Amino acid sequence: MIKLSLTLFVIVFLQSCSKGLFDGNVQKNMEAMDKIHGVCNNPYREYSKAQRKICEDKERAAGPDGEIGDPLNISQMIRDFRSGGSSTQYKGTSMSINKNLWEASLIMLDKYPLDIVDSQGGFISTGWITEKESPNQRCLIKVNITSQELLSNGAKVKLLCEQKELDVWYQDEISYTNEEKNLTLKILDIANELSLIDKLS
Amino acid sequence: MKKLLIAISAIAAAVGFTAKANADISVAGSSNAAYLSTAGNGDDEELAIGTTVDFSMSTTTSGGLGISAGLSLSTDYDSNNGSVATGGRTATFTTGGATIVVGDVEISDTIGSVGGVVNGPLDDASDLSSSVATGFLDDDGMGVELTTAMGDASLNISFVSNDRVDNHGALNSSTSGEDSAMSASITMPLGDYSFTLGVADSDSGESSSGASATASIGGGTLTVGYSNQTLIASGNASLSTAGDSEVVGATYVMSMDADTTISLGYQSAKDADSESHTQTDLSVERAMGGGATVYLDLRNLDGDTAANADGTAIAFGTSVAF
Repeated sequence: MIKLSLTLFVIVFLQSCSKGLFDGNVQKNMEAMDKIHGVCNNPYREYSKAQRKICEDKERAAGPDGEIGDPLNISQMIRDFRSGGSSTQYKGTSMSINKNLWEASLIMLDKYPLDIVDSQGGFISTGWITEKESPNQRCLIKVNITSQELLSNGAKVKLLCEQKELDVWYQDEISYTNEEKNLTLKILDIANELSLIDKLS
Repeated sequence: MKKLLIAISAIAAAVGFTAKANADISVAGSSNAAYLSTAGNGDDEELAIGTTVDFSMSTTTSGGLGISAGLSLSTDYDSNNGSVATGGRTATFTTGGATIVVGDVEISDTIGSVGGVVNGPLDDASDLSSSVATGFLDDDGMGVELTTAMGDASLNISFVSNDRVDNHGALNSSTSGEDSAMSASITMPLGDYSFTLGVADSDSGESSSGASATASIGGGTLTVGYSNQTLIASGNASLSTAGDSEVVGATYVMSMDADTTISLGYQSAKDADSESHTQTDLSVERAMGGGATVYLDLRNLDGDTAANADGTAIAFGTSVAF
Protein backbone atom coordinates (compact mmCIF):
# COMPACT_ATOMS: atom_id res chain seq x y z
CA MET A 1 0.00 0.00 0.00
CA ILE A 2 2.66 2.51 1.04
CA LYS A 3 4.95 1.67 -1.92
CA LEU A 4 2.05 2.04 -4.34
CA SER A 5 0.96 5.32 -2.77
CA LEU A 6 4.48 6.72 -2.73
CA THR A 7 5.02 5.77 -6.36
CA LEU A 8 1.82 7.51 -7.40
CA PHE A 9 2.68 10.56 -5.34
CA VAL A 10 6.15 10.86 -6.82
CA ILE A 11 4.76 10.61 -10.37
CA VAL A 12 2.06 13.16 -9.74
CA PHE A 13 4.25 15.47 -7.66
CA LEU A 14 6.90 15.63 -10.37
CA GLN A 15 4.33 16.58 -12.94
CA SER A 16 2.59 19.04 -10.64
CA CYS A 17 5.47 21.51 -10.53
CA SER A 18 4.55 24.43 -12.77
CA LYS A 19 2.30 22.96 -15.47
CA GLY A 20 4.00 19.59 -15.27
CA LEU A 21 4.80 16.98 -17.85
CA PHE A 22 1.17 16.71 -18.93
CA ASP A 23 0.71 20.46 -19.46
CA GLY A 24 -2.31 20.71 -17.22
CA ASN A 25 -3.84 23.77 -15.59
CA VAL A 26 -5.27 22.75 -12.25
CA GLN A 27 -7.05 26.06 -11.70
CA LYS A 28 -8.74 25.99 -15.10
CA ASN A 29 -9.79 22.37 -14.63
CA MET A 30 -11.08 23.14 -11.15
CA GLU A 31 -13.26 25.94 -12.52
CA ALA A 32 -14.56 23.61 -15.22
CA MET A 33 -15.50 21.06 -12.57
CA ASP A 34 -17.12 23.79 -10.48
CA LYS A 35 -19.51 24.34 -13.38
CA ILE A 36 -20.30 20.63 -13.56
CA HIS A 37 -20.63 19.78 -9.87
CA GLY A 38 -21.09 23.20 -8.30
CA VAL A 39 -18.33 24.86 -6.30
CA CYS A 40 -19.36 23.26 -3.02
CA ASN A 41 -19.79 19.73 -4.36
CA ASN A 42 -16.70 19.70 -6.51
CA PRO A 43 -15.08 16.51 -5.20
CA TYR A 44 -11.63 17.93 -5.80
CA ARG A 45 -12.09 20.97 -3.60
CA GLU A 46 -11.06 20.39 -0.01
CA TYR A 47 -13.62 21.67 2.50
CA SER A 48 -14.18 21.03 6.16
CA LYS A 49 -17.78 20.25 7.11
CA ALA A 50 -18.27 23.81 8.34
CA GLN A 51 -16.74 25.34 5.22
CA ARG A 52 -18.91 23.18 2.99
CA LYS A 53 -22.00 24.23 4.94
CA ILE A 54 -21.21 27.92 4.48
CA CYS A 55 -20.31 27.36 0.83
CA GLU A 56 -23.63 25.63 0.18
CA ASP A 57 -25.57 28.40 1.91
CA LYS A 58 -23.74 31.00 -0.19
CA GLU A 59 -24.26 29.06 -3.39
CA ARG A 60 -27.94 28.64 -2.58
CA ALA A 61 -28.28 32.36 -1.78
CA ALA A 62 -26.68 33.24 -5.11
CA GLY A 63 -29.23 31.15 -7.00
CA PRO A 64 -28.81 29.86 -10.54
CA ASP A 65 -27.57 33.21 -11.87
CA GLY A 66 -24.71 33.19 -9.37
CA GLU A 67 -25.45 36.65 -8.00
CA ILE A 68 -26.69 37.60 -4.55
CA GLY A 69 -29.23 40.34 -5.22
CA ASP A 70 -30.36 43.19 -3.04
CA PRO A 71 -32.35 42.11 0.01
CA LEU A 72 -36.13 42.30 -0.08
CA ASN A 73 -37.37 45.72 0.96
CA ILE A 74 -40.66 45.11 2.76
CA SER A 75 -41.38 48.85 3.15
CA GLN A 76 -40.87 49.37 -0.59
CA MET A 77 -43.15 46.42 -1.34
CA ILE A 78 -45.87 47.91 0.86
CA ARG A 79 -45.45 51.31 -0.81
CA ASP A 80 -45.64 49.69 -4.25
CA PHE A 81 -48.74 47.74 -3.23
CA ARG A 82 -50.46 50.86 -1.91
CA SER A 83 -49.61 52.87 -5.02
CA GLY A 84 -50.81 50.08 -7.28
CA GLY A 85 -47.38 49.46 -8.76
CA SER A 86 -44.12 51.34 -8.72
CA SER A 87 -43.99 53.97 -6.00
CA THR A 88 -42.15 56.36 -8.32
CA GLN A 89 -44.49 59.01 -9.64
CA TYR A 90 -43.86 60.45 -13.08
CA LYS A 91 -45.22 63.66 -14.48
CA GLY A 92 -46.70 63.32 -17.96
CA THR A 93 -44.51 62.51 -20.93
CA SER A 94 -42.10 65.45 -20.73
CA MET A 95 -38.96 65.29 -18.66
CA SER A 96 -39.86 65.83 -15.01
CA ILE A 97 -36.31 66.30 -13.82
CA ASN A 98 -33.65 68.93 -14.27
CA LYS A 99 -32.21 68.79 -17.78
CA ASN A 100 -28.71 69.92 -16.77
CA LEU A 101 -28.41 67.43 -13.92
CA TRP A 102 -29.60 64.69 -16.26
CA GLU A 103 -27.16 65.55 -19.04
CA ALA A 104 -24.34 65.96 -16.52
CA SER A 105 -25.03 62.45 -15.23
CA LEU A 106 -24.93 61.01 -18.75
CA ILE A 107 -21.67 62.83 -19.50
CA MET A 108 -20.09 61.59 -16.29
CA LEU A 109 -21.05 58.00 -17.03
CA ASP A 110 -20.46 57.99 -20.77
CA LYS A 111 -17.38 55.77 -20.58
CA TYR A 112 -19.34 52.98 -18.90
CA PRO A 113 -22.01 50.65 -20.28
CA LEU A 114 -25.48 51.76 -19.20
CA ASP A 115 -28.08 49.17 -18.24
CA ILE A 116 -30.97 51.47 -17.32
CA VAL A 117 -31.57 54.98 -18.67
CA ASP A 118 -34.97 56.27 -17.57
CA SER A 119 -35.26 59.93 -18.49
CA GLN A 120 -38.78 60.14 -17.09
CA GLY A 121 -37.85 58.79 -13.70
CA GLY A 122 -34.43 60.42 -13.76
CA PHE A 123 -32.68 57.14 -13.10
CA ILE A 124 -29.46 55.80 -14.62
CA SER A 125 -27.72 52.57 -13.74
CA THR A 126 -24.50 51.39 -15.29
CA GLY A 127 -23.79 47.75 -16.00
CA TRP A 128 -21.17 45.99 -13.92
CA ILE A 129 -17.84 47.74 -14.33
CA THR A 130 -14.75 45.57 -14.13
CA GLU A 131 -11.09 46.20 -14.62
CA LYS A 132 -8.60 43.73 -16.06
CA GLU A 133 -6.36 44.24 -13.04
CA SER A 134 -9.10 43.31 -10.58
CA PRO A 135 -11.10 40.43 -12.08
CA ASN A 136 -12.57 39.56 -8.68
CA GLN A 137 -14.11 42.99 -8.09
CA ARG A 138 -16.88 44.79 -9.92
CA CYS A 139 -18.95 47.89 -9.25
CA LEU A 140 -21.94 49.68 -10.64
CA ILE A 141 -23.12 53.26 -10.28
CA LYS A 142 -26.73 54.32 -9.83
CA VAL A 143 -27.73 57.95 -10.29
CA ASN A 144 -31.12 59.28 -9.39
CA ILE A 145 -32.07 62.86 -10.34
CA THR A 146 -34.79 63.96 -7.96
CA SER A 147 -35.26 67.64 -8.69
CA GLN A 148 -36.62 69.78 -11.49
CA GLU A 149 -34.34 72.61 -10.33
CA LEU A 150 -30.56 72.68 -10.38
CA LEU A 151 -30.18 72.07 -6.64
CA SER A 152 -27.25 70.64 -4.70
CA ASN A 153 -29.44 67.86 -3.36
CA GLY A 154 -31.02 67.15 -6.75
CA ALA A 155 -28.76 64.23 -7.60
CA LYS A 156 -28.23 61.09 -5.57
CA VAL A 157 -25.45 58.66 -6.39
CA LYS A 158 -25.15 55.12 -5.10
CA LEU A 159 -22.13 52.93 -5.65
CA LEU A 160 -22.47 49.15 -5.31
CA CYS A 161 -19.48 46.87 -5.43
CA GLU A 162 -19.13 43.09 -5.29
CA GLN A 163 -16.32 40.67 -4.64
CA LYS A 164 -16.00 37.24 -6.20
CA GLU A 165 -15.32 34.32 -3.91
CA LEU A 166 -15.34 30.74 -5.16
CA ASP A 167 -16.90 31.88 -8.42
CA VAL A 168 -19.84 33.54 -6.67
CA TRP A 169 -20.34 37.31 -6.44
CA TYR A 170 -21.10 38.85 -3.04
CA GLN A 171 -21.74 42.44 -2.03
CA ASP A 172 -18.61 43.71 -0.37
CA GLU A 173 -20.61 45.57 2.34
CA ILE A 174 -18.20 48.51 2.09
CA SER A 175 -19.61 52.02 2.39
CA TYR A 176 -18.47 54.27 -0.44
CA THR A 177 -19.80 57.48 1.06
CA ASN A 178 -16.84 59.63 0.02
CA GLU A 179 -16.77 58.25 -3.50
CA GLU A 180 -20.52 58.79 -3.86
CA LYS A 181 -20.08 62.34 -2.59
CA ASN A 182 -17.28 62.98 -5.11
CA LEU A 183 -19.40 61.65 -7.96
CA THR A 184 -22.35 63.81 -6.85
CA LEU A 185 -20.11 66.89 -6.73
CA LYS A 186 -18.81 66.08 -10.21
CA ILE A 187 -22.38 65.88 -11.54
CA LEU A 188 -23.14 69.24 -9.95
CA ASP A 189 -19.97 70.76 -11.44
CA ILE A 190 -20.81 69.55 -14.92
CA ALA A 191 -24.45 70.58 -14.56
CA ASN A 192 -23.38 74.04 -13.46
CA GLU A 193 -21.14 74.39 -16.52
CA LEU A 194 -23.94 73.23 -18.80
CA SER A 195 -26.28 75.70 -17.17
CA LEU A 196 -23.83 78.56 -17.80
CA ILE A 197 -23.46 77.48 -21.43
CA ASP A 198 -27.27 77.45 -21.75
CA LYS A 199 -27.47 80.97 -20.36
CA LEU A 200 -24.74 82.25 -22.69
CA SER A 201 -26.24 80.72 -25.81
CA MET B 1 -15.23 68.89 -23.03
CA LYS B 2 -11.98 66.96 -23.31
CA LYS B 3 -10.75 68.42 -20.04
CA LEU B 4 -14.01 67.41 -18.44
CA LEU B 5 -13.66 63.78 -19.49
CA ILE B 6 -10.14 63.57 -18.14
CA ALA B 7 -11.42 64.78 -14.81
CA ILE B 8 -14.15 62.13 -14.84
CA SER B 9 -11.63 59.37 -15.51
CA ALA B 10 -9.65 60.58 -12.53
CA ILE B 11 -12.73 60.26 -10.37
CA ALA B 12 -13.36 56.73 -11.54
CA ALA B 13 -9.83 55.80 -10.56
CA ALA B 14 -10.30 57.43 -7.17
CA VAL B 15 -13.46 55.44 -6.59
CA GLY B 16 -11.32 52.35 -6.37
CA PHE B 17 -12.22 50.21 -9.35
CA THR B 18 -8.61 49.19 -9.66
CA ALA B 19 -8.04 48.54 -5.98
CA LYS B 20 -6.87 45.03 -5.15
CA ALA B 21 -8.13 43.25 -2.06
CA ASN B 22 -5.77 40.53 -0.93
CA ALA B 23 -7.02 39.78 2.55
CA ASP B 24 -4.88 37.36 4.50
CA ILE B 25 -7.67 36.53 6.92
CA SER B 26 -11.30 36.25 5.89
CA VAL B 27 -14.41 35.47 7.85
CA ALA B 28 -17.54 33.88 6.40
CA GLY B 29 -20.64 32.58 8.11
CA SER B 30 -24.11 31.25 7.63
CA SER B 31 -27.19 30.51 9.66
CA ASN B 32 -29.96 27.98 9.16
CA ALA B 33 -33.46 27.71 10.58
CA ALA B 34 -35.75 24.90 9.49
CA TYR B 35 -39.04 23.31 10.40
CA LEU B 36 -38.78 19.53 10.10
CA SER B 37 -41.49 16.98 9.84
CA THR B 38 -39.34 13.94 10.48
CA ALA B 39 -40.19 10.37 9.57
CA GLY B 40 -38.99 8.40 12.56
CA ASN B 41 -40.20 7.88 16.12
CA GLY B 42 -43.78 8.96 15.70
CA ASP B 43 -43.36 11.52 12.96
CA ASP B 44 -41.92 14.25 15.18
CA GLU B 45 -42.15 17.90 14.32
CA GLU B 46 -38.88 19.62 15.06
CA LEU B 47 -37.09 22.93 14.72
CA ALA B 48 -33.44 22.94 13.73
CA ILE B 49 -31.37 26.11 14.08
CA GLY B 50 -27.63 26.41 13.64
CA THR B 51 -24.91 28.91 12.84
CA THR B 52 -21.41 28.46 11.49
CA VAL B 53 -18.51 30.91 11.30
CA ASP B 54 -15.33 30.10 9.41
CA PHE B 55 -12.00 31.88 9.64
CA SER B 56 -9.71 31.34 6.68
CA MET B 57 -6.09 32.44 6.59
CA SER B 58 -3.89 32.51 3.53
CA THR B 59 -0.66 33.89 2.23
CA THR B 60 1.52 33.61 -0.85
CA THR B 61 5.28 33.29 -0.69
CA SER B 62 7.56 35.34 -2.91
CA GLY B 63 8.03 32.19 -4.98
CA GLY B 64 4.28 31.95 -5.65
CA LEU B 65 3.45 29.14 -3.25
CA GLY B 66 0.02 29.64 -1.69
CA ILE B 67 -0.47 28.44 1.87
CA SER B 68 -3.80 28.40 3.65
CA ALA B 69 -5.43 27.10 6.82
CA GLY B 70 -8.63 27.74 8.74
CA LEU B 71 -10.74 27.22 11.83
CA SER B 72 -14.50 27.11 12.27
CA LEU B 73 -16.94 27.68 15.10
CA SER B 74 -20.40 26.24 14.85
CA THR B 75 -23.57 25.41 16.65
CA ASP B 76 -24.87 22.51 14.63
CA TYR B 77 -28.54 22.25 13.78
CA ASP B 78 -28.69 18.49 14.29
CA SER B 79 -27.97 18.46 18.03
CA ASN B 80 -29.10 20.52 21.01
CA ASN B 81 -26.49 23.02 22.22
CA GLY B 82 -23.89 21.29 20.09
CA SER B 83 -21.33 24.08 19.86
CA VAL B 84 -17.94 23.02 18.56
CA ALA B 85 -14.73 24.42 17.16
CA THR B 86 -13.50 22.43 14.19
CA GLY B 87 -10.84 22.59 11.53
CA GLY B 88 -7.26 23.69 11.98
CA ARG B 89 -6.09 20.16 11.23
CA THR B 90 -4.92 20.75 7.69
CA ALA B 91 -2.49 22.96 5.85
CA THR B 92 -3.04 23.52 2.14
CA PHE B 93 -0.25 24.32 -0.29
CA THR B 94 -1.10 25.57 -3.76
CA THR B 95 1.52 25.52 -6.51
CA GLY B 96 1.14 26.37 -10.17
CA GLY B 97 0.28 22.80 -11.01
CA ALA B 98 -1.18 21.22 -7.88
CA THR B 99 -3.01 21.60 -4.60
CA ILE B 100 -1.55 19.62 -1.73
CA VAL B 101 -3.37 19.17 1.58
CA VAL B 102 -1.48 17.83 4.57
CA GLY B 103 -3.18 16.74 7.77
CA ASP B 104 -6.68 15.39 8.32
CA VAL B 105 -7.70 14.22 4.85
CA GLU B 106 -10.53 12.01 3.65
CA ILE B 107 -10.20 9.45 0.91
CA SER B 108 -12.87 9.22 -1.81
CA ASP B 109 -14.35 5.81 -1.02
CA THR B 110 -17.82 6.49 -2.45
CA ILE B 111 -17.09 7.77 -5.97
CA GLY B 112 -20.22 7.19 -8.04
CA SER B 113 -22.52 7.11 -5.02
CA VAL B 114 -24.93 9.90 -5.98
CA GLY B 115 -28.59 10.65 -5.35
CA GLY B 116 -28.84 13.01 -2.37
CA VAL B 117 -30.03 16.56 -3.06
CA VAL B 118 -31.73 17.76 0.15
CA ASN B 119 -30.23 20.49 2.31
CA GLY B 120 -28.31 20.00 5.55
CA PRO B 121 -31.07 20.09 8.19
CA LEU B 122 -33.13 17.36 6.52
CA ASP B 123 -30.06 15.42 5.46
CA ASP B 124 -28.74 15.42 9.04
CA ALA B 125 -31.92 15.26 11.13
CA SER B 126 -34.63 13.51 9.13
CA ASP B 127 -34.57 10.46 11.46
CA LEU B 128 -34.54 8.34 8.31
CA SER B 129 -31.96 5.61 8.75
CA SER B 130 -31.13 2.90 6.25
CA SER B 131 -29.82 -0.50 7.35
CA VAL B 132 -27.79 -0.80 4.17
CA ALA B 133 -24.05 -0.59 4.80
CA THR B 134 -22.22 1.80 2.49
CA GLY B 135 -18.85 3.51 2.75
CA PHE B 136 -15.70 2.49 4.61
CA LEU B 137 -15.82 2.24 8.38
CA ASP B 138 -13.07 4.85 8.55
CA ASP B 139 -12.22 6.93 5.51
CA ASP B 140 -10.24 9.77 7.02
CA GLY B 141 -7.14 10.37 9.07
CA MET B 142 -3.70 11.88 9.02
CA GLY B 143 -2.28 11.94 5.51
CA VAL B 144 -1.75 13.83 2.28
CA GLU B 145 -4.08 14.72 -0.58
CA LEU B 146 -2.89 15.89 -3.95
CA THR B 147 -4.94 17.33 -6.80
CA THR B 148 -3.39 18.13 -10.14
CA ALA B 149 -4.24 18.49 -13.81
CA MET B 150 -3.39 16.30 -16.77
CA GLY B 151 -4.51 18.27 -19.79
CA ASP B 152 -8.24 18.82 -19.36
CA ALA B 153 -8.50 15.99 -16.85
CA SER B 154 -8.14 16.43 -13.09
CA LEU B 155 -6.46 13.83 -10.93
CA ASN B 156 -6.83 13.41 -7.18
CA ILE B 157 -4.82 11.07 -5.00
CA SER B 158 -5.44 10.84 -1.27
CA PHE B 159 -3.34 8.86 1.13
CA VAL B 160 -4.20 8.34 4.80
CA SER B 161 -1.21 7.03 6.71
CA ASN B 162 -3.01 6.50 10.01
CA ASP B 163 -6.80 6.47 10.12
CA ARG B 164 -7.01 6.63 13.91
CA VAL B 165 -5.44 10.08 14.24
CA ASP B 166 -6.10 13.34 12.43
CA ASN B 167 -3.28 15.85 12.88
CA HIS B 168 -0.77 14.25 15.23
CA GLY B 169 0.28 10.63 15.47
CA ALA B 170 2.48 7.90 14.16
CA LEU B 171 3.18 7.44 10.46
CA ASN B 172 3.34 3.83 9.23
CA SER B 173 1.99 2.60 12.56
CA SER B 174 2.04 -1.14 13.17
CA THR B 175 -0.58 -0.85 15.90
CA SER B 176 -3.73 -2.82 15.21
CA GLY B 177 -6.56 -0.55 14.09
CA GLU B 178 -4.24 2.18 12.85
CA ASP B 179 -4.62 1.45 9.14
CA SER B 180 -3.55 3.25 6.03
CA ALA B 181 -5.84 3.87 3.09
CA MET B 182 -5.69 5.53 -0.29
CA SER B 183 -7.90 6.59 -3.15
CA ALA B 184 -7.35 7.82 -6.68
CA SER B 185 -9.89 9.44 -8.95
CA ILE B 186 -9.85 11.17 -12.28
CA THR B 187 -12.43 13.48 -13.86
CA MET B 188 -12.30 14.11 -17.57
CA PRO B 189 -14.51 15.90 -20.07
CA LEU B 190 -15.50 13.97 -23.18
CA GLY B 191 -17.57 16.08 -25.53
CA ASP B 192 -20.72 17.21 -23.75
CA TYR B 193 -20.16 14.76 -20.92
CA SER B 194 -17.91 14.65 -17.89
CA PHE B 195 -16.82 11.33 -16.43
CA THR B 196 -15.36 10.58 -13.01
CA LEU B 197 -13.69 7.27 -12.23
CA GLY B 198 -12.29 6.30 -8.86
CA VAL B 199 -10.83 3.49 -6.78
CA ALA B 200 -10.08 3.26 -3.06
CA ASP B 201 -8.40 0.72 -0.82
CA SER B 202 -7.81 0.38 2.90
CA ASP B 203 -5.46 -1.89 4.84
CA SER B 204 -8.50 -2.75 6.99
CA GLY B 205 -9.60 -4.97 4.07
CA GLU B 206 -12.11 -2.61 2.46
CA SER B 207 -11.99 -1.44 -1.14
CA SER B 208 -14.24 0.35 -3.60
CA SER B 209 -14.55 1.48 -7.18
CA GLY B 210 -17.08 3.66 -8.91
CA ALA B 211 -17.91 5.99 -11.72
CA SER B 212 -20.26 8.85 -12.47
CA ALA B 213 -21.22 10.74 -15.61
CA THR B 214 -22.61 14.26 -15.85
CA ALA B 215 -24.29 15.91 -18.81
CA SER B 216 -26.49 18.92 -19.58
CA ILE B 217 -29.85 17.57 -20.69
CA GLY B 218 -33.17 19.33 -21.13
CA GLY B 219 -32.09 22.60 -19.58
CA GLY B 220 -30.72 20.91 -16.47
CA THR B 221 -27.75 18.86 -15.31
CA LEU B 222 -28.08 15.10 -15.05
CA THR B 223 -25.63 13.01 -13.06
CA VAL B 224 -25.74 9.22 -12.90
CA GLY B 225 -23.41 7.05 -10.86
CA TYR B 226 -22.52 3.55 -9.78
CA SER B 227 -20.40 2.50 -6.83
CA ASN B 228 -19.24 -0.93 -5.72
CA GLN B 229 -17.82 -1.24 -2.22
CA THR B 230 -16.27 -4.34 -0.65
CA LEU B 231 -16.85 -3.90 3.07
CA ILE B 232 -15.89 -5.80 6.21
CA ALA B 233 -18.43 -6.86 8.80
CA SER B 234 -16.18 -6.56 11.86
CA GLY B 235 -17.06 -3.35 13.67
CA ASN B 236 -19.82 -2.49 11.20
CA ALA B 237 -23.18 -2.33 12.96
CA SER B 238 -25.04 -2.36 9.63
CA LEU B 239 -23.37 -5.46 8.27
CA SER B 240 -23.19 -9.08 9.48
CA THR B 241 -21.66 -10.55 6.33
CA ALA B 242 -18.56 -9.16 4.67
CA GLY B 243 -19.01 -8.54 0.97
CA ASP B 244 -20.06 -6.14 -1.73
CA SER B 245 -22.42 -3.20 -1.44
CA GLU B 246 -23.73 -1.60 -4.60
CA VAL B 247 -25.14 1.90 -4.98
CA VAL B 248 -26.86 3.19 -8.11
CA GLY B 249 -28.12 6.76 -8.23
CA ALA B 250 -28.99 9.81 -10.25
CA THR B 251 -29.62 13.52 -9.70
CA TYR B 252 -31.17 16.13 -11.92
CA VAL B 253 -30.78 19.84 -11.15
CA MET B 254 -32.64 22.49 -13.12
CA SER B 255 -32.99 26.27 -12.89
CA MET B 256 -36.55 27.53 -13.07
CA ASP B 257 -35.44 31.19 -13.26
CA ALA B 258 -32.54 33.34 -12.11
CA ASP B 259 -33.32 32.64 -8.45
CA THR B 260 -35.12 29.29 -8.29
CA THR B 261 -33.60 25.82 -8.47
CA ILE B 262 -35.36 22.47 -8.41
CA SER B 263 -33.40 19.27 -7.74
CA LEU B 264 -34.43 15.63 -7.93
CA GLY B 265 -32.46 12.68 -6.60
CA TYR B 266 -32.80 8.93 -6.66
CA GLN B 267 -30.66 6.26 -5.06
CA SER B 268 -30.92 2.49 -4.81
CA ALA B 269 -28.50 0.54 -2.61
CA LYS B 270 -27.97 -3.07 -1.61
CA ASP B 271 -25.38 -4.68 0.70
CA ALA B 272 -23.93 -8.13 1.38
CA ASP B 273 -26.70 -8.87 3.91
CA SER B 274 -29.14 -8.55 0.98
CA GLU B 275 -30.66 -5.51 2.64
CA SER B 276 -31.66 -2.75 0.27
CA HIS B 277 -33.19 0.71 0.21
CA THR B 278 -34.61 3.18 -2.27
CA GLN B 279 -34.24 6.87 -1.50
CA THR B 280 -36.00 9.67 -3.39
CA ASP B 281 -35.22 13.37 -2.86
CA LEU B 282 -36.84 16.59 -3.95
CA SER B 283 -35.53 20.08 -3.20
CA VAL B 284 -36.85 23.47 -4.27
CA GLU B 285 -34.76 26.54 -3.42
CA ARG B 286 -35.51 30.20 -3.93
CA ALA B 287 -32.85 32.90 -3.45
CA MET B 288 -34.37 35.93 -1.74
CA GLY B 289 -31.51 38.40 -2.12
CA GLY B 290 -29.25 39.71 0.59
CA GLY B 291 -27.82 36.22 1.13
CA ALA B 292 -31.12 34.64 2.20
CA THR B 293 -32.74 31.56 0.72
CA VAL B 294 -35.94 29.68 1.45
CA TYR B 295 -36.17 26.02 0.62
CA LEU B 296 -38.56 23.09 0.71
CA ASP B 297 -37.01 19.64 0.93
CA LEU B 298 -38.58 16.21 0.83
CA ARG B 299 -36.97 12.81 1.30
CA ASN B 300 -38.59 9.40 1.07
CA LEU B 301 -36.81 6.24 2.20
CA ASP B 302 -38.20 2.78 1.55
CA GLY B 303 -36.75 -0.67 2.17
CA ASP B 304 -34.66 -2.12 4.97
CA THR B 305 -34.30 0.51 7.65
CA ALA B 306 -33.87 0.81 11.39
CA ALA B 307 -37.10 0.62 13.42
CA ASN B 308 -39.45 3.54 12.66
CA ALA B 309 -36.87 5.04 10.34
CA ASP B 310 -38.53 4.84 6.95
CA GLY B 311 -41.17 6.96 5.28
CA THR B 312 -41.18 10.59 4.21
CA ALA B 313 -39.57 13.57 5.92
CA ILE B 314 -40.11 17.20 4.98
CA ALA B 315 -38.19 20.37 5.80
CA PHE B 316 -39.12 23.98 5.19
CA GLY B 317 -36.53 26.50 6.14
CA THR B 318 -34.25 29.37 5.40
CA SER B 319 -30.51 29.75 5.22
CA VAL B 320 -28.67 33.04 5.31
CA ALA B 321 -25.10 33.51 4.14
CA PHE B 322 -23.30 36.45 5.73
